[in-house]
Order: sequence, then structure tokens, then C-alpha cells
Amino acid sequence: MSVENKSSAALQALASILVSAMIGIAIYGAFIWAPNEKTMGFLQRIFYFHAASGQVMILAFSIVFIGNVCYLLRRKPEWDWLATSAVEVGLVFNTISLVTGPIWAKPAWGIWWDWDARLTSTFVLWILYIAYLLLRRLIENPERRAVVSSVFGVFAFLDVPLVYFSIWWWRTQHPPPLIFKPGGLSPEMLKVFMFTMASLSALMVIMIWQRYKLESLRHTVEELKIEAEYRNDGGAR
Amino acid sequence: MNHFGSVVAAYMFIWGILMVYQFSVSRRVSNLRQEVERLKETLERGKRN
Amino acid sequence: MNSHAKSVGLTRATASVFAKELRVEFRSFEILTSTIIFALIVVFVFSFAFNPSAADSRRFGAGFIWIALLFASALMLQPSFTRERTNDTIAALVLAPIDPFAIIAGKLFANFFFLVLVELVLLPAFSVLYNVPLLGIIGPLSGVMLLGTFGIATVGTVFAAISSQARMRELLLPLLLLPALVPLLIACTGATMGLLAESPELPISWLAVMACFDLVFFTAAWLFGGYLLEE
Repeated sequence: MSVENKSSAALQALASILVSAMIGIAIYGAFIWAPNEKTMGFLQRIFYFHAASGQVMILAFSIVFIGNVCYLLRRKPEWDWLATSAVEVGLVFNTISLVTGPIWAKPAWGIWWDWDARLTSTFVLWILYIAYLLLRRLIENPERRAVVSSVFGVFAFLDVPLVYFSIWWWRTQHPPPLIFKPGGLSPEMLKVFMFTMASLSALMVIMIWQRYKLESLRHTVEELKIEAEYRNDGGAR
Repeated sequence: MNHFGSVVAAYMFIWGILMVYQFSVSRRVSNLRQEVERLKETLERGKRN
Repeated sequence: MNSHAKSVGLTRATASVFAKELRVEFRSFEILTSTIIFALIVVFVFSFAFNPSAADSRRFGAGFIWIALLFASALMLQPSFTRERTNDTIAALVLAPIDPFAIIAGKLFANFFFLVLVELVLLPAFSVLYNVPLLGIIGPLSGVMLLGTFGIATVGTVFAAISSQARMRELLLPLLLLPALVPLLIACTGATMGLLAESPELPISWLAVMACFDLVFFTAAWLFGGYLLEE
């Protein structure tokens, strides 16, 4: 291992330990330190990681958008690697949000799902970014793949606030019989939530970093393949 | 402790999906690393010939 | 010097592409006839599946119309780019000394035009089959249809350009398009529902959402759409 690789590996190990510690503390905070909520009791503790995942998802997809735009403007492959890494990581947190939500909702309010603005937008985001990954898989040429998926990514990202608003407005016009009220947060709860958000964000960064290295490695493989083909064809002949 | 099971289920899902993703990335990385080694070897052999 | 020349070029180039699209389609009417028939079939199928009463038709009719249109456009928009690939005419277009957005815009307006033609058949058919009178509200309804259709054409044309570069493009386009059009579907249905009600009213707020949608995505198409046509 070169010196560069060693220090990078050391940095990554340190970061992993730090993030694990943060998450450990967050779990302690969510399960033990935070007070029990009045109406929902112990069940409410799902909220900390559920809501934090939702925020981290938005953060991740914002990074995707930045990567998409920067790639279209600058055409450096690194931006595309960043975007695609952030999509996968964003989808992980998106899935967490979509699954833990109903697990919380059913005991709390009696229904698994509701088509309100936030839930529906979360679901549409999930569909759009899975479509993003599918689109990438269906295009062979790396440059075309990057350009086309970046344009789609821009459209997908711009779409989501519109989804949120249109559903919110629809619900205001046609109020449903049951409206979720997650309840207020006491100062201790807020602290735990903030800390959980910070630790999950740190986790997101590490996950994107790892995934980015995978993408960089894939690029190396593609370059080596091209070189191998070139050599096989007898070089300059 | 009402609905303790739900809370546990939620957190286990979170842990589970993170592990699955971690595993997926690690596996892809090791596959690609093998591929890199293989290609480098092929190129070395090509150079020698 | 160049920016003024280009902007005049853009309008003229868009008009040329638009005219070409119309000429090609009017030679055979393939896409138009298939789309119209498909939209009518969807309307029929809904009436069998839901068997709506007169009151139901007023409440759900808006949804039927827009879903029929969405499905029809998801199928109809793809050929605007795949047709070009068979003889690689897209390369010829791209080589022309015009802003690439002119190609997208020309196709966009052509698709908009074709969709409007489909609606001219779809709406009377719906009115007759479901016994919902439309003549009284034809003015506001036209406004809603035009705004909504423009949004479908804008996002649809860009996504058709996107999916034409991938495999499985016939399946991919609806998959990309339908989720992305959700806000437009909601707004259009909301506005149309308001108009179809016993006492018709035109909710300005929904029109604002539709206009916003159209503006945002037309601008995005203008800024980024050209990149999709690079070779």
C-alpha cells in the first residue's frame, strides 16, 4: 500500500469509528435519555431516526442535484460519480423513511399509510430516483449515461417541491377526516433529534464517500479494459 | 412499554438495510478490485510479449 | 453579433422543426390515429370498469379524462424521437447550424399540437358517453386543457429524448413520465373537477400551479434539453 492509500485508509477508519460512536450515542439518546412522549409513549421513539432519515434523504438528493448540474456544466466525470453515489445512499435513507413511517403510524393512528403531502412526496422521490438508477443501467456509453441521467436528475429534483405543494394544496381544499399531529417536542427531545440528524448525516457522508470510491474503481476498470482492447488489436496498427 | 415490538422492528429494519447496503458496496468493490488485478496482469503479459 | 442572430435563428429553426414534424405526421397520420383510438379505448374501459352514474361522472370525469390523456401521451411521445433513429435523421438535425433547443422545442410544440387534436376528439366523446355537458364551460375548460397539455408536452418531449437513448425505451418512458407528472395531474384534475361540478367554478389556484409547472419545466428544458442531443 502506498503512503497515500495508507493515510486514506486511516482517515476512513477514524471516520468510521467516530460515526459509529455518534450513532451509538444517538441510539442511547433515543431509547433511554429522551423522555417518554405523553400520548404515544414508547412508540414515539421511532420518530428520532425516522424523521432524521427523512432529512438526510433530502440532503443526499440535494447533493445529487448539485452533482447533476455541475456535471452538465463542467463535464468532469467525478461529478457524475458523486451524483450516482448520492442517489444510492439517498434511496437507502428514503427506504428507511418509507418503512419506519408506517411501522410508527399503524399503532399510533391506526392506518399504515396516508396520501398526505409529505408521505406522497417521499414516495414519488423514491420512484423517481429508482427510475434514475434504472435509466443509468439501460445506457451503455458512460458519457451519454452521465449526461442523460443528469438531465433527468435535474427534472426529478425540480419536480418534488411541485409534488409537495400540489398535494398540500389539494388536501387544504379537500381536508381528510384524519390529520396527523406528531405532537410538540420537548427541549430534550429536540436535542436528541438534532443529534440523531447530525450522526445520520455523518453516516451519509461516509456512505457516499465509500460508494464514490467504488465508482472511481469502476472507471479504472473501464479504462484498463479499453487499454487491453487497444493492445489486443495490435496497438497502432 | 407500549408497542415495544414496533420500535424494535423499526430499528432492526434500519440496521438491517444499512448492513445490506454496506455488504453490497463491499462486494462490488472486491469484485472490481479482482477485475483490476486481472486486467493489470493481462496488460503486463501483453507488454512482455 | 451572434446572440441576436441566434435568437432569431431559434424561433425560425423551431418553426421549421415544428413544420417538419407536422408534415411527417400528416403523411401517414399513424401516430394521431393510434393515439386517438387508444384514448377512446381507455374512456370505454373506464365506463365498464366503474359504471359511473351521472353524479359519479361529474366527480370522477376529470380524473378519467386526464388519466386517458396521460396514458395516451406516454405512448405517443416516444415516436417523436425513435422515428428519427431508424434513418438516423436526428444526426442531420443536430448537424444543422441551429441551437439544439430548437429541435426539442419544435418537437415539443408539435407534440402539444397533436395532443390538442386528440383532446378535440376525446372531450366530445367523453361528453357524449358519460352525459356530461361541456359546452357551457368550453371557454375555461379549453384554458385548463391547453395549460395542462403544454406541461405534458414539455416534460414528455424531454423525457422522450432521454428514454430514446436507453434500452427498453417503450417501458421506460411511462415509468419516468407518470411520476414526474403527478403535480400536473393533481392540478389539472382539481381544476377540471371544479369546472365539471354542478355550479362550475374555475379555481385560479390550480391554474397557477399548472402555469408554474409549465414555466419551471420549459425553462429547465431550455437550459438543459440541448445536452440530450449531443452525439
